[in-house]
Amino acid sequence: MPDIYTPDLMEVVNVRKQTPDVKSVRIQFQNKARASQFDFRVGQFGIFSAFGSGESTFNICSSSNWKDSLEFCFRKVGRVTEALWRVEEGDTIGFRGPYGNGYPVEKWEGKNLIFLGGGIAMPPIRCAVWYALENREKYGNITVVYGARTVADLVYVDELAEWAKRDRVRVIQCVDPGGQTSDWKGEVGFVPTVFERAKVAAENSVALVIGPPIMIKNTLPVLEKLGMGPDSIYTSLENRMKCGVGKCGRCNAGPVYVCKEGPVFTMEQLQKLPQDY
Amino acid sequence: MSEIISKAGLRELAKEWIAQGKVVAGPVQTKPGLVMYAKLASADEIVWEGFVRPANSVKEFVFPRHELLCTYKMEGNRVELANDGAEIPAQILLAVRPCDAAAFPILDHVFNWDCRDELYNRRREATTVIALACESHDESCFCTSVGLSPQAERGSDVMLFDLGEEYEVRSLTDKGRALFAGKAQPSERTAPTYMGPDPRFNPEQVKQFVDGQFTSPYWQEATLACLGCGACAYNCPTCHCFDIVDEGNSQHGKRVRNWDSCQFGQFTLHASGHNPRPDQGSRQRQRVLHKFSIYPEKFGEILCTGCGNCTRNCPEGQGMLTLLTGIEHA
Ligand SMILES: Cc1cc2nc3c(=O)[nH]c(=O)nc-3n(C[C@H](O)[C@H](O)[C@H](O)COP(=O)(O)OP(=O)(O)OC[C@H]3O[C@@H](n4cnc5c(N)ncnc54)[C@H](O)[C@@H]3O)c2cc1C
Ligand code: FES
Repeated sequence: MPDIYTPDLMEVVNVRKQTPDVKSVRIQFQNKARASQFDFRVGQFGIFSAFGSGESTFNICSSSNWKDSLEFCFRKVGRVTEALWRVEEGDTIGFRGPYGNGYPVEKWEGKNLIFLGGGIAMPPIRCAVWYALENREKYGNITVVYGARTVADLVYVDELAEWAKRDRVRVIQCVDPGGQTSDWKGEVGFVPTVFERAKVAAENSVALVIGPPIMIKNTLPVLEKLGMGPDSIYTSLENRMKCGVGKCGRCNAGPVYVCKEGPVFTMEQLQKLPQDY
Repeated sequence: MSEIISKAGLRELAKEWIAQGKVVAGPVQTKPGLVMYAKLASADEIVWEGFVRPANSVKEFVFPRHELLCTYKMEGNRVELANDGAEIPAQILLAVRPCDAAAFPILDHVFNWDCRDELYNRRREATTVIALACESHDESCFCTSVGLSPQAERGSDVMLFDLGEEYEVRSLTDKGRALFAGKAQPSERTAPTYMGPDPRFNPEQVKQFVDGQFTSPYWQEATLACLGCGACAYNCPTCHCFDIVDEGNSQHGKRVRNWDSCQFGQFTLHASGHNPRPDQGSRQRQRVLHKFSIYPEKFGEILCTGCGNCTRNCPEGQGMLTLLTGIEHA
């Protein structure tokens, strides 16, 4: 009896080492019938598994327009991610999903998009950027501010360069003070400061802010100063999850099941939740 | 009009069920002074009286503490998955306390909202619950504070009431009627109503407090003694948090789900090291929040049946009741 916890089997079709401890992996359904039914929204997540080590939660970081494969990108931090670090092209891994609400991309139509990300937050931003670029006429200016501790910690750098060449797109990369190399052409500083210095016009905009809690905390006042209300600022929570389907009780933040009602929330919604994330 | 069955007759009936290959479980004395719900090898093992309630909950017959999700086998870079195709035998839970029986319909909500958990449902559907109304309580009991009572019928297919030499039998569902059809005799006798413990707190007040006083120092102060052992959750009829892990090696093994508890520090620990609930105060608050606010808001029912097992099993003698009655003075 197949149940909601039995994963789909996926073939690894591509592995890329992004940084010394981050890899991106592209996978395909082994069951072709399943592949043709599969659909998701950018901003949703999946539960990925290395058999023998267990399951882990990652954002699906490919665009929902890419029909032939899915991508995720992870940092090696523990048991499951150590095991996934060892997978190679042709290997089989498990996938359950898509889970969660995803970004309200329809609601964002007609708006300027501001993406602010720190560290391993690039994957959940990357899918939204590609989605917007593939539906270019529906969205206004796109600004991406992306920061990492050091130059070596930046992920998807080739794609950042690719986006920067596009029309009405501004990409600002930054590294923490001390994290720059002698040939670094980007900014030096923390995401909130760099973003403030960039003087981005924030009229008719929505912002997606993803990163460590301290980055989000320091970015909010900057967005507020630009006149953005809490209903136009979005984030994606990373409450620890197990089942992904509202059963196991792991992900609650106050009254919400983050795996079902989230992980994407506006700041206005988060302000109503207790500090439980 | 109700029915009765003699105590000897019920024992015979239980023997019949076991002989038919049904799993029959009930309160069993596992060692001196300790009564636990367990599968019966023989109908004589069951303990009918002389204790308030078993130290564990009966939920494990529907939601086992360790359950197979699937097995995996790896050959080269191919993986084969197989699900547990085992038939779940019909099971009868006998002499269950009303505070255990009531937990089943409450748990049905979470295992069926949004998507159905078939692992849970297949056991639930194979189960018939025969509850025995309580005739005693101890200082840990508080069913009457959460809208239940020693005679509460919720979740039971049959209710039994002790009449001395016989049991009064009230069959409540078709499943229950089928078990006792032709076995119980019509009777005019009905058991007197046992009132149980006086209500100890108002659940509405608890909800208001936990919603409104999320950052109150009360949560820290009232839980200083908590060791974070999770005994409250493991023996709770309604706690249902679980973990999913792989057991095996890189060639073959199984994916299982195990009971988990919001009382463990690792439960919410992020990979970044950030922990939204870094101490026992916030973890115990979560247990109250889930039971008295999250669950009622989402599913319309309190996730607590007042069985008192959290207190009985707590190495510090604390538990829900201590925490909830303390709110009044917080
Ligand atoms: C909705 C959502 C989306 C997410 N998206 C992404 C994403 O796109 N990319 C991504 O990289 N992550 C993402 N995460 C986080 C990701 O789920 C975790 O990083 C991952 O599950 C860690 O799994 P693990 O088994 O490798 O770690 P575990 O072994 O479970 O480790 C967990 C904890 O133990 C600690 N730990 C592990 N090993 C050691 C050790 N040897 N010594 C000391 N401490 C140790 C870790 O620091 C961590 O705190 C997301 C999380 C959520 C909820
Ligand atoms: S991850 Fe299990 S309930 Fe949300």
